[in-house]
Amino acid sequence: MTGDYRRFALTRGGQAIVVVLLTYVFTFLIISVLPGDAITNTLRDPQHGLSEEDIQRIVAFYGLDQPVIVQLLLSLGRFLTGELGFSLQSNLPVSQLVGDALPSTLTLATTALVIAIIFAVAIAYGAQYLPGKWAAVVRSIPSFFLSVPNFVIGLVLIEFFAFRLHSFTTTDPNSPVATLFAAITLAIPVSAPLAEVLIASLDHESRQEYALVARSRGLTEARLFAKHLVKPSALPSVAMVALIVGELLGGSVITETIFGRDGIGTVVQKAVTGEDQPVLQAVVSLSAVVFVAVNLVADLASPLLDPRVKLRETTLKEKVGA
Amino acid sequence: MSADLLTVEGLSIAYGPTTVVHDVSFSVAKGESLALIGESGSGKSTIAKAVLRLLHHGEATARGRVALNGRDILALPEKQFRPLRGRALGFIPQDPASALNPVRTVGAQAHEAAALLGETDSSVRRTKILDVLEQVGLPDPMRVYDSYPHQLSGGMLQRVLIALTVLPRPSLIVADEPTSALDVTVQKLILDMLTELRQELDISLLLITHDLAIAAERADSLVVLKDGAVQESGSSRVVFASPQTDYARSLQADVPALHPDRYRDQRTAFQSTHDGGSRIGDVSSPSPGLQIDVQEVSKRFSAGGQDVLACDGVSFSVQRGRTHALVGESGSGKTTAVRLLLGLEQPDGGQISVAGQSTSGRSRTEVRDIRRHLQLVYQNPFTSLDPTWRVGRIIREPLDQFGVGTKPERAQRVREALESVGLPADVASRRPAHLSGGQRQRVAIARALVVRPDVVVLDEPTSALDVSVQAGILELLSKLQRELGLTYLFVSHDLALVRQVADTVSVLRKGQVVEDGAVEDIFSRPQHPYTRALLDSIPLATPASALGGLATEAKQLAKATA
Repeated sequence: MTGDYRRFALTRGGQAIVVVLLTYVFTFLIISVLPGDAITNTLRDPQHGLSEEDIQRIVAFYGLDQPVIVQLLLSLGRFLTGELGFSLQSNLPVSQLVGDALPSTLTLATTALVIAIIFAVAIAYGAQYLPGKWAAVVRSIPSFFLSVPNFVIGLVLIEFFAFRLHSFTTTDPNSPVATLFAAITLAIPVSAPLAEVLIASLDHESRQEYALVARSRGLTEARLFAKHLVKPSALPSVAMVALIVGELLGGSVITETIFGRDGIGTVVQKAVTGEDQPVLQAVVSLSAVVFVAVNLVADLASPLLDPRVKLRETTLKEKVGA
Repeated sequence: MSADLLTVEGLSIAYGPTTVVHDVSFSVAKGESLALIGESGSGKSTIAKAVLRLLHHGEATARGRVALNGRDILALPEKQFRPLRGRALGFIPQDPASALNPVRTVGAQAHEAAALLGETDSSVRRTKILDVLEQVGLPDPMRVYDSYPHQLSGGMLQRVLIALTVLPRPSLIVADEPTSALDVTVQKLILDMLTELRQELDISLLLITHDLAIAAERADSLVVLKDGAVQESGSSRVVFASPQTDYARSLQADVPALHPDRYRDQRTAFQSTHDGGSRIGDVSSPSPGLQIDVQEVSKRFSAGGQDVLACDGVSFSVQRGRTHALVGESGSGKTTAVRLLLGLEQPDGGQISVAGQSTSGRSRTEVRDIRRHLQLVYQNPFTSLDPTWRVGRIIREPLDQFGVGTKPERAQRVREALESVGLPADVASRRPAHLSGGQRQRVAIARALVVRPDVVVLDEPTSALDVSVQAGILELLSKLQRELGLTYLFVSHDLALVRQVADTVSVLRKGQVVEDGAVEDIFSRPQHPYTRALLDSIPLATPASALGGLATEAKQLAKATA
């Protein structure tokens, strides 16, 4: 088991690194294929007031006078050594721009993820154990959550809790309470698919014969849920959570705008409108790293959650058909 | 006389507006065993779940009285019933592979059962668990304790489940088809072990089964169910020896073990007209009519550094118009042998000839042409038919595949095939979901026949079906063989069935043929100990004596009545 697991972990880790590198290359190519030379256009914008000398220095730094493939290799080399370059708009290092915005977004996304999981588990538990009519109501919640646009939820929450109840003020978007409501806004649509997956797997698991047999041993419903059903039902949900993290990073743009928070969303928005290639490249790569890392964790966790998960391609038993 | 432990009176169960169990009454005395027998849909499992109060809430409603030691358990609130679960009422489920939580160890789940003894010290509980695992005949209790369910075989898992059930010493065990998912030899061992434990611990048994032979052998009394109503009940000996109702009579008549010669007369008549009355099953004489000839075929599988010789020099041959059976348990290599014959796997060594043509050293298309004469009927008609296709298209598929005939000709062939398997023509426009298991298997047979093959490979063709349906399918196969001169290769683990349908047989074990020859010879004079073990595991087909320990008398009785 342990030797197999190490091999499995190494393979998956290697695959993850390849995915990140490919994403980087792909983003780079997309941006360089786009019409217009984003970097030189920006540099020559008289607003920036850069001298010809400065421009030459920057052009030399990015290798802009060289063929695309050389630029790519240079860029990839810098990425691998952690050098992300400078923003074309503010002349600040990209790492500083991203580093300033990241904590706010991470707080928001993490809080939202926790809330989404709590919502999903509560909905799934209610769907399973509330009496008939209420269970049906609870079961319809995910589709309701999905059908309300994110910004509507945000505006309603601000209107109600900030302006009517004065639970928080919109002028201090980073206060804990304001963060909490922003996270709820972000969590609601994201919790819906997770809740649906959980409901479906709980339905499936609770009808398995082992659940029946455990019940015949006199287990209470709560104990059956905690001891028998949660773990196998969590398996598909773990993969789902990994996908959700991607959505939290992407979806944060709208929420950050509504709640007036400065985060990665704001950075991306400015970078896109200003064609700030180094910043865009860095944010996309960062998202890819986070996304791939979370999925890697989910992959590595699944054999630990379920002993049946196969680490090798096929087992001998299956080949023989016994 | 001992008092009744379990009394069921006027029990009716409904799923919504549909009543599936009608006014059922029976009782089980202390220390006794009673079998509920019936086919799928007879309501036997529903009754078992009602007794255990495991029916799904809000879906099924039970009316009537189910009393355990005089206390009506249907009327009890869940809180008062829960203490009885496991402690008074034990449950052994049908499929051991799905009856334990796959992501928890056997030990963790055993502690739940041990907790019912009221023991709080977990090391004491552990000792008790290891003791009971040993008591049910598990060779290495420590290893089993630490294992996950998927690491154990079906037989071992069923032993674990029985151990967990008897651990809290219930007064009644409800066993729902406890051995139908197991190999025959394992089945017998498990049933023997259960009988022994019951006597030792004085536990009553409510046995749910579709197998009349098992019921008669293992239960003191029988209740025969059909469509949720009691057809007949009484002591096993009486019901079995002289069934009173038509349904019980037909059930009894359809048990292969009781009627070994059921299809033999038809076959003998056919064979004597077709090959001048040569001795049945004479495989040794070289015959030009050899349809299948498999010589010294080997196949090795390897994965993860492990090697398994799935077929180790397997040889058998089948004459035109005859039925040859491959018999063995899971892992015996019978499936691999069939896959090699069908060309789904390539043999590592040996020769395979179909209709006198060797399949080795030929091109893919040539082999395909040879194999066109070879069709397969798969084990489970519930999974072998594409649920999104209509029956007409399913049957036509092989014709489309081989590009046979014009469109109207193909339609005509489909109609003929349906007719030959005894299905009305309008079935062609239906989808598999609207057909019964027996009808589906007829569709599968029609699909095999539509290309007019010479050889049909029947891979456990009736193991997913009820006995009465099984009898219908076997009759059909026998008729088709007579009319079309088909050659059958019949793969099965069920020796009683093999005895009914086959002329010759090869007994496989761990990839080797341990014995082969004419069916009569093998059954009357088995040479190999494994063959003898297989034969011994056929349920005796005679009621066990209520006094117990009189198996020899029962055996003689069986010989006298057979």
